[in-house]
Amino acid sequence: MRDLYKRLGVPADASPETLDTAIEACRHTALRQDADAVLRIPARREAYDQLHATLGDLGRLRARLGLTHAPHWQDDVANDFSQDSDRSLSRHQELADKLDALVAGGAPSAASRRPWRWLAALLITALLGLLAGLWL
Amino acid sequence: MPPSSFTPFELLLLKSRNQTDTAALLMLAWILANKARALPEDRDYLDTLAGDFHHGHALAPLIETAHAQDMAAIQLAAEVLQKDWQGEPAHPFLRQAIALATSGGPPSHRNHHVLRFLADLLGVAPGALSALFKSVTGQPLPRPEDPSRAGYWAEREHRHQRRAHADDTAQARAEEDARHRRASETRRREEAEARARRQAEEEARRRDEQTRRHRERERADRARRQRERAQQRRHEEEAARRRREQERERQRGQEHDGTRPPPSFDTAHALRVLGLDDRASRGEIKRAYRRLAQLHHPDRFHAQGESRMALASRQFQRIQKAYEHLMQDARFV
Repeated sequence: MRDLYKRLGVPADASPETLDTAIEACRHTALRQDADAVLRIPARREAYDQLHATLGDLGRLRARLGLTHAPHWQDDVANDFSQDSDRSLSRHQELADKLDALVAGGAPSAASRRPWRWLAALLITALLGLLAGLWL
Repeated sequence: MPPSSFTPFELLLLKSRNQTDTAALLMLAWILANKARALPEDRDYLDTLAGDFHHGHALAPLIETAHAQDMAAIQLAAEVLQKDWQGEPAHPFLRQAIALATSGGPPSHRNHHVLRFLADLLGVAPGALSALFKSVTGQPLPRPEDPSRAGYWAEREHRHQRRAHADDTAQARAEEDARHRRASETRRREEAEARARRQAEEEARRRDEQTRRHRERERADRARRQRERAQQRRHEEEAARRRREQERERQRGQEHDGTRPPPSFDTAHALRVLGLDDRASRGEIKRAYRRLAQLHHPDRFHAQGESRMALASRQFQRIQKAYEHLMQDARFV
């Protein structure tokens, strides 16, 4: 399974007209024949697009999970659908971070949610102190 | 932080009594969503499987997530599985996945690749996966077909036509049988002489019919042979043309490499094989090549058997070819 769009140099959601011009302009005869037979017939293009989308997703998943050089990822599929290895975005880490934020934000929330009480208490103490100072 | 910032699958995972089981169920639901035709039994099968899992929540949200092809959720599930099940413990899960994918015939194109992804994720080698597939379905694991080739569609339509033709002939035969039966019934009602006369006629007709059918079959055979020969010739021509075209393309590529500023498809691919981006320098390429070549050198896998070594040598060659291509490329001199 090759990525015909990539090999033709058009986006995967290209309109039929763009695709036609790209196929006409393609100088690789075998590729042109295949693209002509697969992408110009709507039913075939639909089936092809479905698999194309899944393979794109799998390529992205593999890049993120460090499986771009795994034994089952071979030949044309690996050639055309591999992406740059990118282990920075770990969903598990993301979830852990969210939980951390929730826990860190949750503990002082009782105090931070009602700051006016603290202020009132402080004010009353200051007033009392002032009154006591005047009294004495 | 408001709880709405968690995705539905994250919430399920947090509430789950066993996160691995929840992740495994999402993967199975994904396989179900990727089937060409989902049978009603499949849903029941998934329900019974879920009965043995210790997830402790409803199955429906998982199936919805999988049908929406929510890649963030699937990546999260994959990370959980990768962490918890490596190698042997993953075999029962892979068995279930294979059974679900093949319940209505061979796996769909998408599931071919999804199953292989799961095997890679769980550290199951190709040999082990085909053994599992064979033990579940009784058939060897087929190679995924390639719908990006014109030949795939031509062959598929040919198969379709042949099946339709077979249906036609079967129908014709059934009609003939019915006619025979009707004829014999009327015959039984007739007088004895008439029966004898008619039988003779019938005999003659049948003989005619037989010779006709025989001739027809011969003609069909001849046509099929011719078709096959023509197809073979066409295949050979196409292969020769493709070879010639590739040769020409390669020559052209060598002539043009020096003057073409953006990386060609081959160069971009070679860079990707080495895990580099377009801005990589010659030194970076060399370093990446040394690292990968060491990592994938076949001698490292000597102890792990013949097939693993063959695989490693294929990958090694792929890396080597990419490196050689890049070293010839004028952009990196």
